[in-house]
Amino acid sequence: MSAQISFFGRKRIFYGIIIAVVSVYIFKLFQMQILAHEQFDAKASDNSIKAIEQIALRGVFYDRNMKLLVENTPAYTVRITPAEYDTSWNKKIETILDLENGFITNMLFINRIYSKFIPLRVKRGADFSAIAWIEENKEHLSGVDYVIEMQRGYPYGVMGSHVFGYSKEISPAQLKKEEEYYQPGDLIGSIGLEKKYEKDLRGEKGYNYILVDSRRREVGKYKEGRNDIASQKGKDLVLSIDGELQKIAEEELAGRAGAVAAIEPGTGEVMVLASSPQFDLNQFSYVTPKDYLRQLLNDPLKPQFNRASMAAHPPGSTFKLLCAIAALDLGVITPSTTLYCGGSYTFGRSFKCHGAHGSINVITAIEKSCNVFFYQLIFKIGLDRLKEYATRFNLGRKLGIDINEEVRGLIPNSAYYEKIYGKNWPRGILVSLGIGQGEVSVTPLQLANYCGLIASNGKAVVPHLVKGYLDENKKFHSYKYKEVDVGIKKEVFDVVKEGMFRVVNGAGTGTSIKISDIQIAGKTGTAQNPHGKDHALFVAFAPYENPKIAVAVLVENAGFGATWAAPIAKKIIETYVRRTMPKSTVAPEKQKIVVQQGAEEFAD
Amino acid sequence: MRINYKLNDRFDLTIFLSVTLLVIIGLLAIYSSTQNTITQKGNFDKQLISWGISLFIFFFIYSIPAQTFKLAALPTYVISMFLLLVVLVIGRKIGGARSWIALGGFSFQPAEFAKLATILFLSNFLSRVETDLDNLKDILIALAIGISPIGLIMLEPDLGSSFVFIGVLLALLFWKGISLFGLAVVLSPGIVAVASLFGPIYFVIAIILVVIILFFFKKDIILSGSILALNIAAGFFVDNFYNILSPHQQRRIQTFIDPNADPLGSGYNAIQAKVAIGSGGFWGKGFLHGNQTQLQFIPEQWTDFIFCVIGEEFGFIGSLIVVILFLVLFLRILRLATFAKNDFLSMVIIGILTVFFVHFLVNVGMAIGILPVIGIPLPFVSYGGSSLLINMTMLGIIMNIHRSRKEST
Repeated sequence: MSAQISFFGRKRIFYGIIIAVVSVYIFKLFQMQILAHEQFDAKASDNSIKAIEQIALRGVFYDRNMKLLVENTPAYTVRITPAEYDTSWNKKIETILDLENGFITNMLFINRIYSKFIPLRVKRGADFSAIAWIEENKEHLSGVDYVIEMQRGYPYGVMGSHVFGYSKEISPAQLKKEEEYYQPGDLIGSIGLEKKYEKDLRGEKGYNYILVDSRRREVGKYKEGRNDIASQKGKDLVLSIDGELQKIAEEELAGRAGAVAAIEPGTGEVMVLASSPQFDLNQFSYVTPKDYLRQLLNDPLKPQFNRASMAAHPPGSTFKLLCAIAALDLGVITPSTTLYCGGSYTFGRSFKCHGAHGSINVITAIEKSCNVFFYQLIFKIGLDRLKEYATRFNLGRKLGIDINEEVRGLIPNSAYYEKIYGKNWPRGILVSLGIGQGEVSVTPLQLANYCGLIASNGKAVVPHLVKGYLDENKKFHSYKYKEVDVGIKKEVFDVVKEGMFRVVNGAGTGTSIKISDIQIAGKTGTAQNPHGKDHALFVAFAPYENPKIAVAVLVENAGFGATWAAPIAKKIIETYVRRTMPKSTVAPEKQKIVVQQGAEEFAD
Repeated sequence: MRINYKLNDRFDLTIFLSVTLLVIIGLLAIYSSTQNTITQKGNFDKQLISWGISLFIFFFIYSIPAQTFKLAALPTYVISMFLLLVVLVIGRKIGGARSWIALGGFSFQPAEFAKLATILFLSNFLSRVETDLDNLKDILIALAIGISPIGLIMLEPDLGSSFVFIGVLLALLFWKGISLFGLAVVLSPGIVAVASLFGPIYFVIAIILVVIILFFFKKDIILSGSILALNIAAGFFVDNFYNILSPHQQRRIQTFIDPNADPLGSGYNAIQAKVAIGSGGFWGKGFLHGNQTQLQFIPEQWTDFIFCVIGEEFGFIGSLIVVILFLVLFLRILRLATFAKNDFLSMVIIGILTVFFVHFLVNVGMAIGILPVIGIPLPFVSYGGSSLLINMTMLGIIMNIHRSRKEST
């Protein structure tokens, strides 16, 4: 017989176990209900009152004439709550919602890090037929529901894809940075104005406090909604864009690659910023279909590329205006200085002109776009001084416009050439630089800004797309932008403007767009393109006496600026001037002699 | 005074009043937790009716001759084993386990009935004079009687009830006076099995311990070898057993090993239960005013998580009263065990005590987060007709044994 515990010993062990367990439990209850009571109490109230986020209505876009360009329209959003969803429905739902195969699996995988009780948006802007199907099969489709959400609509018929931009569902990386405002599935401006003005447009989220049960089902409102915080609508932006002109620009560019930028001289208000080809913003108002994205990415013309502010091409002959300004301002020539053009210019090799212009002054050189005149002029100015003038006019520099999609372009200086070709870089390069060809590039927006600065005699405001916003009472508040002054005498501008006037109204290269009662001043340009047909350029402002609009037009791979770009500028200018200006102010009698007199005074 | 004394001599009023109070507290908690639901609204009424029927049965069992229990031991065991087989075929599946048999409008769990039957039959076997727990054969017979229903219940699978059977088996063997060696033989497979749940290293350590213990007892090589084989088999059995468990039970075991693994999944209940009890504070939030209860944050709070309702709405005071009532009940029953007129009846009392105690241990333990979430009701308090009925029957047996202790055999 091995050791055995006595009967009373056994009873005592039972006794001990019972007392021990009960003691531990009482101690634990004491610890939970008395010592740690407050922590648990806080958790309990957190559990049962839930804040439901109310997304604020996004601010809309008005044009400069208060026409609605971008609005909010209600649309159906289909959502899936992963905790309740049965994945065997994937295929069926993907078919009904016109999503690609595996979309839902992928979406669930991406969002697996978040609570399974947060509904995920499967599709925004779902068809009514799909909603009807969900409604019919409601009892089988646990975890699938739909809500009405706002989606962007474009009522005016302006596409404005690159200017307006679009919002996308926030990425996990962005969410990490901005988690104090955003939730998974929230939209955030992705490009264009939607991105730049995200903080103004998004408004303030509201919160409805509800009581929920353990299955996160709503049981009622907390304190009858007395504690709810209403969402605050985002700011409605008033753009400087002119809807009608933007539409014309888009229509004129349709079917081509190109861009139009128009600025109000002096104020910096961008009235047109069009880039072609465009893309369909409606496709981006929810999760973009992969097919559409692939189509955009494979398009050789790169529709998502904002040509107006990102296509940097040589300015061609439009650059001659800058050379003229620099030469006059530096005093290396006077308005009456003449240079000889015999049809070509020799510097190492022969550089051609499109005619033999004889002895001409700067005004005629601009009018006729004489190359030989400017070949000679650049050597008088010098490369680094020319660069300095280009910088004053913001060529080859970011303008700081209120969208992020902008490039610098390039204006070379001697340091640049030394870096590439060494100390003894061939000076022959300068010859073509004098007429805006070769290693020099600017964007259409820079050209419009440059033309606007000429029109307003060098004083203006940084170009911008948004004038201001409307508050809740529809009261307008304007945004402030930096003023700029290139610091060049008015007399210099008068000479150059005279040349530009003659381009259209004299015997110049742009006479084809002459309108009898609106005086347009302009300059044609053709950017040489080593990869294909040349790009057509045209810059212009009007009316000549009292400039109200400056336009730059780029048509890629088209040929001469006069033929392809100028008519677009003409149409925009004509529409704008006729609409906004009383007939009498459009074309006051121009005194042609004025410039001659002025030139005499200037030539000191 | 004399009459009172006489009554207490034949009827342990302390036990009966404790249980009655527990049932009343349970009814309040059931009312509170189901009044807001659609599907469980009638539970209070049903429980009240069950209590009425249970009282009737309790007094019937209390009055019958004590010899009946010994006579009923074998038949009830056979019947309950049969029912445990039947339930696997025609049983209704509720909460992942096939454990209910429906008869007309009435449904019950054969496992509840099998608890009593196993206590009776095992007590009967162990109380025979010729049963010697130093004899491996007798130990194996006792284990077979106790483990057979466990095996069938595992197939349902009903983890909670299995624990109760293991508790009963160990308690009765211990009460019978098993030697340290016998206890080691019985306990070691269980320890090895649990150890292997945690991983192969723990399994190996446990087996090494078993070898050391066997060496210490200096039994012959064949006996020691077969015991070692039994232990190793138990360790491997656990893997298969683990796979038999329903996924939600597997997750519960994982959650116990690492409680924060899945706070919104199976750990959810454990966290919500603690929040409910802890937020009750000293006085509680008041009857019908617990937001965790009223908003149904905790599933099955009228059965398995009823202690949370009490803890939240009646606070520390309420919880303490319930725990003290159980303490009184347990100590009182243990006291009666020593008065029983024979070993069989004494063992039956210990078996029943163990059933009540393990239910209390596991149920309250999981509510306050000491033990893993294992679905098992709190005796007399939780909602459930068949559970209340069998508990009152067992209470009737105890009171019967007390009443008849001075009668000649």
